[in-house]
Amino acid sequence: MAYREKLAAVHFAAMALPYAVYFTLVATRPPEPRLIDMLWLFGAAAIVHALLAGFGSLAIRIQAGTEGRAPADERDRAIARRGRSIAYIVLLVGMMLAGVAMPFTEPPAKIVNTALLAIVVAELVNGGVVLFSYRRGWHG
Amino acid sequence: MAKGRIANQIRTLRFLAGEMTQADLGEAIGVTRQTVAAIEQGKYSPTLESAFRIARVFGKPLEEVFQWEET
Repeated sequence: MAYREKLAAVHFAAMALPYAVYFTLVATRPPEPRLIDMLWLFGAAAIVHALLAGFGSLAIRIQAGTEGRAPADERDRAIARRGRSIAYIVLLVGMMLAGVAMPFTEPPAKIVNTALLAIVVAELVNGGVVLFSYRRGWHG
Repeated sequence: MAKGRIANQIRTLRFLAGEMTQADLGEAIGVTRQTVAAIEQGKYSPTLESAFRIARVFGKPLEEVFQWEET
């Protein structure tokens, strides 16, 4: 597995793990959690995400040596563009749902969490597309 | 629209160029070794600019390095 592929895998896992726990807890708690509880939970998930991504990236960079210091080339940039363009659609749909449709029918906590879920899912789609493109090839 | 794929002779040309490594070719055209490997395996189609650079490294015209194959 190449350096940037490993990096994408680490970022994907670092995003998926803490937010999977976060959304599981949010979904299984009473219907109207207090704002402060949500903030604490979100803060914890964000810190775990940052730590996993930071230390994971650092470990891979050290292991990769000179390859880790090489700038992204045309294939890396093409794959990143593909990931971002597909993730943008996911984010757009999620934000339209959270910002346009839900304010008329849903409580604030649910709207906030739907918006957060849209961001997380969009980022996971981005990472998934990048990983898939490195593994299976991409002719962008 | 006719369907097809871009085939290439990079592996052969590297061999004929004194077993030039993927890393050496990558350095010559400004991409990583992994990208050269992906091009060779047909997993990535290089930009036109990189295709010309590759052809120039081997001193060959573009069509001797890359070919369009109908599928």
